[in-house]
Amino acid sequence: MPEPYYPWGGEFITGPPSGCVAVVLLNIDYVPPPGVAIYGKLKTENIGIEKIVANVISNPHIRYVMVCGEEIRGHRSGSSLLSLHRHGIDTQHRIIEAPGAIPYIENLSEDAIARFREQIETIDFIGVTDTTRISTEITALDARAPPPFGEPYIAIRLKPEATVTIADARALHARITIDYLGRVKRRGE
Amino acid sequence: MYSFTKTQQVFELGSIAFGGQPGEHPTVLFGGMFFKGAPDFTAASHQLASMLRIGDETGMPTIPDVFIRKEEYIEPIIAFLEQHLPKTHPFSVDFIESSLKIKTLEALHDHKLLARTIYNSVHIGMTAPEREALKQHTPAMALIVAFNPKDSSPDGKIEVLENGAHLLDSGLLAVASSVGIQRILVDTAALAPGENSGAALAALPVIKEEYGLPAGCAIHNVVEKSKWLTRYESAKTTVDAASNAGIALFGGDFAIFGPVELAPVVVPLMAWFDIVVSEYTEAYFGVCPSQQHPRRVFSP
Repeated sequence: MPEPYYPWGGEFITGPPSGCVAVVLLNIDYVPPPGVAIYGKLKTENIGIEKIVANVISNPHIRYVMVCGEEIRGHRSGSSLLSLHRHGIDTQHRIIEAPGAIPYIENLSEDAIARFREQIETIDFIGVTDTTRISTEITALDARAPPPFGEPYIAIRLKPEATVTIADARALHARITIDYLGRVKRRGE
Repeated sequence: MYSFTKTQQVFELGSIAFGGQPGEHPTVLFGGMFFKGAPDFTAASHQLASMLRIGDETGMPTIPDVFIRKEEYIEPIIAFLEQHLPKTHPFSVDFIESSLKIKTLEALHDHKLLARTIYNSVHIGMTAPEREALKQHTPAMALIVAFNPKDSSPDGKIEVLENGAHLLDSGLLAVASSVGIQRILVDTAALAPGENSGAALAALPVIKEEYGLPAGCAIHNVVEKSKWLTRYESAKTTVDAASNAGIALFGGDFAIFGPVELAPVVVPLMAWFDIVVSEYTEAYFGVCPSQQHPRRVFSP
């Protein structure tokens, strides 16, 4: 279940919530130093990035997001995350200049994305797999101890508007009906 | 177990039939060949032979789904398929990067293999150059992934198929048609646990009744992402294989079941479920199992 500080869930490990560094792991097996607020692997250039954004802005103590390890081929999730921070999204919700295959942010409001871009600084360590170098950088970031960025921002997951509402507990889906034998029909036909 | 009112399309490729009413044709099983690092074709040839053999023994159609990671692997992987598959047997090619897709299509054209190719996949991230490449070198069949990043429900999947969900200027079905792909398999896009993972199964009868097209998914991906299962290591393989049963029970036509190494478990398991489905759908709906159906192989 989601933790209070990180309400969107995901595959991550948490440290002290007052830590100012979050670490995004691409193709790398690495455990960061203990002061890191949160770290975990990023795989997809859409839903994975959304979870990072939502969880990071829920904790205003996080001021640095480091992206490290070899880039995920095809998805280019790390570069797409950096593009989101640099450029935001266009009117079709595509991350501007993202190199990933399907870099769309659909479940976050523009306010949430703006907050992410303002709250944190990114550290581009894509391609870096030297864990000593990564740890040294994290320790240096941690030592800066910047103040928190105001109050937590709890991003509401945008819900699609339901086009059909039919209260029928027997139906698998509003578009179809299934009779007692298992014959499927389009509803209304 | 279901029977659909909408007429179901059946597409044939080689000797394999995709689609139809539940119980009509066996579930087509795609075994993934991922070739991590430099491809190990010795191990792969044994795994492929094993999957094909068990498929033949059980009446289950099996297809290798080769993942192409780098440009330098395109030719060796094509040579491997030419050498180790029966002459007309289909295969699917899976990749993420658009540039690799284009180069692979060119290579498949040069090798005269497009008539056996299942393109994995058409999705909302398709680029204009990829679209052009598909027009020039059109594969016999394509998987269309109904992934909608905003709406993972069956409605969202239909939206992306019909109108592109505002991410494309047209729906994915129209995109496939515009490049000349005639035979379409709809992949209902299984997402991670916590992301409405069950919608991929629930969408199967919805898509089939809506379009009459063959539908399936890679539900095993959900198992792979269920990290809590690592606590129950001995159960994980069973859950992985058994997850595919949901596809047969929800009326689906194909399963992208994960690594080909799982074939010795998945293929008999799916044959068993196909037999169970066929017995019911013949009894209630009069659906006759095809000549290749596992029920004809094993049932009295």
